[in-house]
Amino acid sequence: MGAAELNKKSKKRKAADEAPAPVPFPEDVGLDMHSEDEGGDEAEADDEDDGEADEFPEIDTRSDSEGEDGSAGDEEEDESEDEEDEEESEADTEDDDLRIYPKPKTVISDITGQPKRVYPEIEPDYDSDSSTEDTPNRVGNIPMHWYDDLPHLGYDINGKKVLRAARGDELDKFLETVEDPSAWTSAFDKNIQMDKPLTEEELDLIRRLQENENPDAGYNPYEPTVEWFTGKGKEEVMPLSAAPEPKRRWVPSKWEKQKVMKIVRAIRQGRIIPNKPKTASSQPQSYAIWNDEPSNVPAPLPAPKPRLPTNAESYNPPEEYLPTEEERKQWEETDKEDRERDFMPQKYGALRLVPAYDQFIQERFSRQLDLYLAPRVQRVKLQIDPNSLIPKLPSPSSLKPFPVYKSLQVSHDGHRVRALSVSPDGAWAVSGDENGNVGLWEVMVGKEVKRWKFQGKVGAVEWCPRTDVSFFVVGIEEQLHFIIPPNLSTPILLATQTLLAPATLPPAPATPSPVKWVSTAAAASSSDSPILTLHLPPSSGLPKQVVWHRKGDYLSTVSSGEGQGGVWIHQISRRHSQAPFRKVKGSIQLVLFHPTKPHFFVATQRYVRMYNLAEQKLLKTLMPGIRWISCMDVHPSGDHLIVGGYDRKLCWFDLELSDKPYKILRYHTRALRSVHFHPTYPLFASSSDDGSIQVFHARVYNDLMTNPLIVPLKILRGHNIKDGLGVLQVRWCPRQPWLVSAGADGEVAVWCS
Amino acid sequence: MGRLKQKGKAGAAKAYVTRSAAVKKLQCSLADFRRLCILKGIFPREPRNKKKANKGSSAPTSFYYAKDIAYLAHEPVLKKLREHKAFAKKLSRALGRGEWSSAQSLEENKPVYRLDHIIKERYPTFIDAVRDIDDALCMIFLFASLPSNARVAPSLIENCSRLASEWQLYVMHTRALRKVFLSIKGVYYQAEVMDQTVTWLVPYQFTQSIPVDVDVRVMLTFLELYQTLVGFVFFKLYTDAGLVYPPPQDTDKDESGAGVGAFRLQESTSQSSSAPRAKEVEVNGKRVSTKDVRQTIKSIAASAHGEAEADLPAADSTVAEEDDEEFVQHPSTSNPDETTSLPTLRSLAAIPQSTTSKLFAPYTFWLSRESSRPIFEFIVRSYGGRIGWPESSGSGSPIDETDETITHVIIDRPVVERPDETEEEKERRRRRKYVQPQWVVDCINAGRILLEESYLQGKTLPPHLSPFGDYVGAYDPTAGTTGEDAEMEEDEEDVEEDAVMEGEDDETAETVRPETAALKAAAEAEDEAALRAAELQAEAAGVDYGTFEKEAKKAAKKAAKTPAKADGEAEQEMNKMMMSNKQRKLYERMKYGEKKRSTEKQNLEQKKRVIEKEKRKRSKP
Repeated sequence: MGAAELNKKSKKRKAADEAPAPVPFPEDVGLDMHSEDEGGDEAEADDEDDGEADEFPEIDTRSDSEGEDGSAGDEEEDESEDEEDEEESEADTEDDDLRIYPKPKTVISDITGQPKRVYPEIEPDYDSDSSTEDTPNRVGNIPMHWYDDLPHLGYDINGKKVLRAARGDELDKFLETVEDPSAWTSAFDKNIQMDKPLTEEELDLIRRLQENENPDAGYNPYEPTVEWFTGKGKEEVMPLSAAPEPKRRWVPSKWEKQKVMKIVRAIRQGRIIPNKPKTASSQPQSYAIWNDEPSNVPAPLPAPKPRLPTNAESYNPPEEYLPTEEERKQWEETDKEDRERDFMPQKYGALRLVPAYDQFIQERFSRQLDLYLAPRVQRVKLQIDPNSLIPKLPSPSSLKPFPVYKSLQVSHDGHRVRALSVSPDGAWAVSGDENGNVGLWEVMVGKEVKRWKFQGKVGAVEWCPRTDVSFFVVGIEEQLHFIIPPNLSTPILLATQTLLAPATLPPAPATPSPVKWVSTAAAASSSDSPILTLHLPPSSGLPKQVVWHRKGDYLSTVSSGEGQGGVWIHQISRRHSQAPFRKVKGSIQLVLFHPTKPHFFVATQRYVRMYNLAEQKLLKTLMPGIRWISCMDVHPSGDHLIVGGYDRKLCWFDLELSDKPYKILRYHTRALRSVHFHPTYPLFASSSDDGSIQVFHARVYNDLMTNPLIVPLKILRGHNIKDGLGVLQVRWCPRQPWLVSAGADGEVAVWCS
Repeated sequence: MGRLKQKGKAGAAKAYVTRSAAVKKLQCSLADFRRLCILKGIFPREPRNKKKANKGSSAPTSFYYAKDIAYLAHEPVLKKLREHKAFAKKLSRALGRGEWSSAQSLEENKPVYRLDHIIKERYPTFIDAVRDIDDALCMIFLFASLPSNARVAPSLIENCSRLASEWQLYVMHTRALRKVFLSIKGVYYQAEVMDQTVTWLVPYQFTQSIPVDVDVRVMLTFLELYQTLVGFVFFKLYTDAGLVYPPPQDTDKDESGAGVGAFRLQESTSQSSSAPRAKEVEVNGKRVSTKDVRQTIKSIAASAHGEAEADLPAADSTVAEEDDEEFVQHPSTSNPDETTSLPTLRSLAAIPQSTTSKLFAPYTFWLSRESSRPIFEFIVRSYGGRIGWPESSGSGSPIDETDETITHVIIDRPVVERPDETEEEKERRRRRKYVQPQWVVDCINAGRILLEESYLQGKTLPPHLSPFGDYVGAYDPTAGTTGEDAEMEEDEEDVEEDAVMEGEDDETAETVRPETAALKAAAEAEDEAALRAAELQAEAAGVDYGTFEKEAKKAAKKAAKTPAKADGEAEQEMNKMMMSNKQRKLYERMKYGEKKRSTEKQNLEQKKRVIEKEKRKRSKP
């Protein structure tokens, strides 16, 4: 830019030298202005009055017609004009120091008599030429942030550092803005890192930009047109085309006429009525719309009608409809949508006192919203007595006997009794608590005959179902103890002793089992200590469950320990133990022998699998839909299974029917803990953590067509809930409809009919 | 092997479209879509499974039947709405360019849609239309009472009030009004038109303004539809009744606030009228309407068991005809006939409307200025009465206050003693009955003229009950306290007395205590042995045998009642275990509703008892 500028300047000077210069202007700069001035005057004269404009064409023609000199002069003039424009724009855009021209004065010219601008004389010293004035900083057009960390700003022409001016803190800046009235018209100059006041020209430029004007002050948008090629005396003598003017330029259009005539005809015939009266057509006319045959399309369903007002809505309702203070408060507190009534009943003594209802329009509006925004569903209204939904079952009184009341109670000193078993003849019961005590007592009188003390918790206690021998198994940590109760008749005692501690041990199995069978000699054995002890593999944990096969030769245990060693089947006669499952899917909760067939039920957390032990294959998987199975029992007939879960459900499976439960009952309020079928009576019981025992009548029919009949009979309450645990175990007495239950409160109760 | 089923090609995914999809398909704005839905009566549906209908998304949206939307796509109104959109653009361009003349011609030719075909579609038969006229009437009566503003044009208000008056005229003419209820929201009217009950609500006469939270556009769209619907329904009703529709309006009267009286019902006599009137037959130059025919049939039936009355039905028919012709202008001329025709009316009691619809025929009413004229003019005239009102309630009163025929004055002011009454005024006051407005409404709802005693001016009114009733088994305020309640009350009183006695005992002497203890023991005795022990104890305490026996029996009765009930309930409670989940939920829902209703009823009964007790207490001293 600078170079171009200089170039132009020199050109300008040359032009000024050539031009005929008036005397009073000795300097080239002045000359320049003079010429510019004249040009300006010319333009002004052209603009303003026609009279003078008439005079001027002479000059124009002269300039046109004149020779090279004139044309050259003209060119120069133009050029200088251009330059002036340029410079003005430069002055506008650039900084103050680039401003060349001081303010002119307007005086009447002596020669022409026209007003003209006269600029003050300029001292021809070094400073007068602003073009040579330079900025102190000579670093050039570089990003100034390079100097941000330095104490100087750059270098002047002599290579000396230009030091950064001291700048105050924010407070100083603020004070400056307050003290200096021109502070708001100053802007930050990056080159010298200081605030510099804006010049008049810059402010003017800003103002123009703000007002959406042309930023160039000298730009005149309304220049008069200069007719170069048209107008008087400038007609083309030689047109470009010699074609005659087409006819359509002057003949009226035939097609337009046809179109118009069409409309005219339509108006004449009355097909189009121009400016027809609006009132008649805008008013909707009613006519007999329903007189012709109705279409056989069925009418859309009418919208449901709003409910008709009741007594409460009356302006003078009976006094009992008026809300109490409490009801009123409650009504006001509920949200508008949740209110049962959209109004508050009110009583007015006379009709004239009834005010306007303030929600009237809102209610109308909400009705309309209902009509077009609410989905409608057709519902069949049930007109039945709700009590007819309750199934009709035989009365419990007709299904007697079943346990009704608590006849006696045996205490375990407050220790949780988890294990309970009743002897096959129904006379004795053993119960084991978490403290390691196992008590033997009579069911009839509740008298404790003997008590054993073991180390650790007692996980399970189970009588052998055989009647020719009599003993029971106690499961404690990693051990099973076989105990013979005291006071047995001699033949039975002998039979038991020979069974559990035979003189000649059966041959050891081919594959050694990790379960060790240790028995004391029959002679040395007493009822105080176990006659036979099975040592389950280490870390197998507490046996949670001991189940006997019906014949009393096999028993199965489920231990709580992790891993594969959970389930064992022990055979007494062969003194042999085996783990039936090599790999188990899920953690086994319970196992059960089928009463008649060689089937074996295994309950994991969610499923119950039924295996055929003889064929060693899976028969079915029952899906009770319980999250965590807690207890299970099989019907004496072997065709039905009940499964209870910690999620309060009890499922009844008909094994012939389906893998899914035939019936799901949910009546306990807490987790089920134990279920048990009565061996002879059609009864079963379930116990739960809610402290109650529910007794059912469960009749199973032999024909496959009739569904089993399940009738709830009685809820037995009497156990206390301790630490969230209620009744942990229920067992039936085999010969009587009596129930024995063990609770977490350390009590064992017998319920009699 | 069947074809593989693709997702989203059948079933709910195809049958339903979401609202935004519908708007996209119709290529209109949401506002236009709403308008269309309102006009066509299309409403959202609830799919069985929202996820299936919405391509697996469970976002909350409203669904429409895809068929409904496809049906909307061919709607002429939709086309007009699109044209209107183009028109609005053109107009705004013309206005922006200042091309006034072209703007005016555009405005003149602006697309206007008609709703006739929609009415015909939505209501294929006239009965359908009458059945669905409730909401329309409510809206029209509401807008008839609104002030006009920038959004609600005065011409609209005017049209609504005209339609409202036409409906009232028709109901008065056909004596179709059945029930009226003065509620806190407004006045509910129920009329029977074409065997359909039509219920509408009219706000009390106060200036209302449309609140800001109400979308006026929606209301106006509804009103547009309703005006058209009601216009067609009225046309049919009027022409079927042999009247000219629209009834000519007297502008002078209308401007002086005559309301309904500004319209004049005109018989359409000439055959030139386009409306076919197949039901009318000319007999001997006399017009015979279906009504006459029906009445004649009835009279023949009546003559079978009463020859003496044979000629009276004819007289009745003439009366009816006269009534029809002269409507309400001169009903007094029919008054003297009324007494003679009464036995006939009794014989025609099978039609309830004929007896009740002329309930007020023998009476003439004067309406004092504080009671609302539109309400009572409409009610009284619908039941055949004459009514007059002071000039301040509007012009057009057929009688003035000094008229001798006035029998009742409907007045809603407290009694004021006026010593400066002239003798004539006093005489007039003695002759007329001054009743409060509720009397008129209660008479209609009761279907007979009630005694004026409890409704006289200044009296505390009996409660005004809803004639529409409530659900079956709801609390009935008219029923007195039932036997059980009374017993309970007695019991309560006994208890109170006991309490008082005991208090006295405490105060007087400690020695009397064993007596009550013995009685208590008797009450608690369960079996024979205990009873005997209690008896002995009572004897020792000095209670006479009669008292003891009474106490014991009462206790026994109570004991017998409770365990049996408890047993049955416990059994049922246990049987509930055997219900399936679905049944249990249904049962619980039903029981919940039942319980809620019964508590509501009990609550009301309880309140009533308390109120009555208080009343008794207040009246005693």
